[in-house]
Amino acid sequence: MDFSVITDHWRFLASGVLVTLALSALSGVTSIAAGFVVALARMYGPRWLRPIVILYIDSMRAIPVLVVLVWTFFALPIVGGITMAPFWAALVGLTVHLAAYSAEIFRAGIESVRPGQTRAALALGMSRAQILRRIVLPQAVVRMLPAFGSFLSVTIKDTAIASVIAVPEFMRQSETVQGQTFQPIEVYTFAMVVYFLLLFPVTRGVDLVYRRVAHLGRS
Amino acid sequence: MTTPQSTAPRAKGGNSKIIRYRGVIKRFGSFTALNGVDLDVHAGEVVCLIGPSGSGKSTLLRCTNGLETIDGGEIEFEGALLPKDERALRAMRARMGMVFQSFELFPHLTAQQNVAEGPRTVQKVSLAEANRRAVAMLAKVGLADKAANYPSALSGGQQQRVAIARALAMEPDVMLFDEPTSALDPETIGEVLNVMKALAEEGMTMVVVTHEMTFARRVGDWVAVFDTGRIIEQGPPTQIFDAPTTERTRDFLSHLGWSG
Amino acid sequence: MTLDWSVVWQHREALVAATGTTILLTIATMAIAVPCGLMVAALRLYAWAPVRTLATAYVELFRNLPLILVVFWAFYVLPIWTGLGLSPLATGLAALALNVTAYNAETFRAGLNSIRRGQVEAAMALGMSRTQALRRVIVPQALRRVLPVLASTWVSLFKDTSLVSVIAVTELAYVAMQVRAQTFRVLEMLTAMAAIYWLLGYPQAKLVDWIQRKYRVTE
Repeated sequence: MDFSVITDHWRFLASGVLVTLALSALSGVTSIAAGFVVALARMYGPRWLRPIVILYIDSMRAIPVLVVLVWTFFALPIVGGITMAPFWAALVGLTVHLAAYSAEIFRAGIESVRPGQTRAALALGMSRAQILRRIVLPQAVVRMLPAFGSFLSVTIKDTAIASVIAVPEFMRQSETVQGQTFQPIEVYTFAMVVYFLLLFPVTRGVDLVYRRVAHLGRS
Repeated sequence: MTTPQSTAPRAKGGNSKIIRYRGVIKRFGSFTALNGVDLDVHAGEVVCLIGPSGSGKSTLLRCTNGLETIDGGEIEFEGALLPKDERALRAMRARMGMVFQSFELFPHLTAQQNVAEGPRTVQKVSLAEANRRAVAMLAKVGLADKAANYPSALSGGQQQRVAIARALAMEPDVMLFDEPTSALDPETIGEVLNVMKALAEEGMTMVVVTHEMTFARRVGDWVAVFDTGRIIEQGPPTQIFDAPTTERTRDFLSHLGWSG
Repeated sequence: MTLDWSVVWQHREALVAATGTTILLTIATMAIAVPCGLMVAALRLYAWAPVRTLATAYVELFRNLPLILVVFWAFYVLPIWTGLGLSPLATGLAALALNVTAYNAETFRAGLNSIRRGQVEAAMALGMSRTQALRRVIVPQALRRVLPVLASTWVSLFKDTSLVSVIAVTELAYVAMQVRAQTFRVLEMLTAMAAIYWLLGYPQAKLVDWIQRKYRVTE
C-alpha cells in the first residue's frame, strides 16, 4: 500500500475535513434549536398544532436522509424557485431531517423528569413557566446528554451523505482523489481513520461529562 | 354526607379556623377517593390524619393546596374559598408549605439553593434575603453544615429535613406533611419527627398524614381517622387512641399493633 | 413548469421491483445481524480477555464510521481482500450487515447487562448452572427489553438501504434516480421516491411505537 497518495493530496483532503466540521457544527446547532421549538410546540402548543408536528416527526422517521438531501437540492428549486449551493442545500436538508430527531430527544428528556418535581415546585407557588425554566429543563438537559451525544455522532455521519449532492466535504473529496488516483484502499482506509478520530471522541467525551453531572439530573 | 364531629372542645386556636373542609368530594374516574369530608383546622393546631392506605388522606392534602381540584363541597383557607384563578391559587400555595413523602428536592441545586428557590422565584425577595432565610432555616433543621451539598450527597432523613426547611423558608401560615417519614430508614425517622415536634411547639399550624402513631399521640392536638374516603372518627388523641368510639377505628389500631 | 406524473406510472414495474429489493435487503441484513449481534455481545460479556477486546474493537469501529463510507470501502476493498467478485447487491448487504451487527451487539449487551444481578444469584441459588440461568432467566427478560430497540434499528436500517444506491445496487433510491436521469422528470420522480419511502416507512414507525408501548419496562 502506498500512502503517498494521501500526502500528495493532503490540502485537498484537509479542506474536505474543514467543510465536514463546518457542516456538522452548523447543522448540529440549527437542528437542535429547531428541534427545541418543535418539541415545545408539540408539548405546550395549541391543540391543532400537535398532529401537524407529529406528522412531521414521524415522516422524518420514514424518509431516508439521502432522499431529503437529494430532494432539497434538485426538486426544491423547481417547486420553490430558490436555487441553493450544495452546502446550503445540505444544511437545510440536514436541519429538516435532524430536527425531528432532536425534538424527540427534548420531549423524552422533559417527560422523564419525575412528576413529583413539578408538584413540589407547584406547592411552593411557582408558575408553569417558572417550573419549566428553573426546575424541569435543568434536570432534563442533564438527562438528555447521552442522547445528544449520539445525536452529534449521527449528525457528523450524515454530513458524509451530503457527498451525494456534491458538497465538497471530506467524503466527497476522498471519492474525488480515489477516482483520480485509482488507489481506493489507501484513500478509503485513511478516510475511515479520520472519521473514527472525529466520531469516537464525541461520544466518549459526552459520556465523560455525563458521568460527572448525572447526579444533578437524578431526582 | 356529614361525618361525625367530636363534641370534645378543641385545645387550641379558639375560633380561628385556618382551614375548613365542608363535604369535600373528589373522584378519579369512577373511583371516589373522598366521599364527603368535614374537618376544621384551627390556628396553632397539629391535626393528624391517620387510616389505611388508599383511604383518602393524601388526596385531601393535595386538594388543600389545589394540586388536585375537588368535585364537590368546599375548602376554605383563612376565610376564603380556594380560588380557581391560577395566579391567585399560586399566591395561596405560597402561604402553605408542603412536604412530600419522596422529599422531591431539586437535584440540580444545592441544599441552600433548594431552600432559597421559593423565596427568590415566587416571593421575589432579593438574593441576599433569600440566602439569609435559607441559612437560617437550614440551621433550624440542624443542617447548617450541609448547605453546599447536593441532594445526592445527603441521606434520606437529611433530604427530608432540607425539604422542611424549603417549605419553611416561604414563611407559611400552615404546613402540610404528606407521610413525611414513610420513605425513610427507621434510624432517620427520629430526626425528622424531632424537627416536626419542635415546629409544633413553636405554634405552627400543621396537617400531618402519617403512620407514626406515637407521633400523633404525643404531638397531635386533633386526630381524624380516615376510611374509604370518609372520616369515620375524629377527636383529641386521648379519645382516638385510648378510647375510640367506633369499631373500625379499633380494628385499624389493633391491626397496627397499637396497644396504647 | 409542466409536471408529468405519468412517468411514475410508466416506470411502475421498475419501481416495484426496486422496492422489493429494498425490503429484501432489510430482511436479509437483519437475518444476519441479529444472530451475529447476539454472538458478538455474548463474546464481549463472557469470553476471555483477548476475544473480548477484539469484539469491543469491532463494535466501537463500526459504530463510529459513516455507513456510506463503509459501503464504498466494502465495494473497493472487499473484492481485493476476499478475492471474490461480489455483486453490488452482495457488497451492499455485507456493508449493511457489518454495520447493523455492531449496533445490535451493543443493544444486546445493554439488554443483558440491564438485568439485575440478583436475578442471576436467585437462579443459581435454586441450583441452576450459569448457562441455565442465562438461558431461562436472563435471556427471556433481556429479549423483552431488546425488542423495542431492535424494532427501532429495523426502521433505521430500512432507511439506510438507500445508501447502497451509491454503488449502483438496484434498490429504490438508485432506480428512482436513474429514471429521473433518463426522463428528466426531476420533481416527479424525486417526490415519488420520497412518497414511496414514506408509505412504507410511516406504518413501520408507528408499529415501532406500538411495540415500545407494549414492551415498556417497569421495575
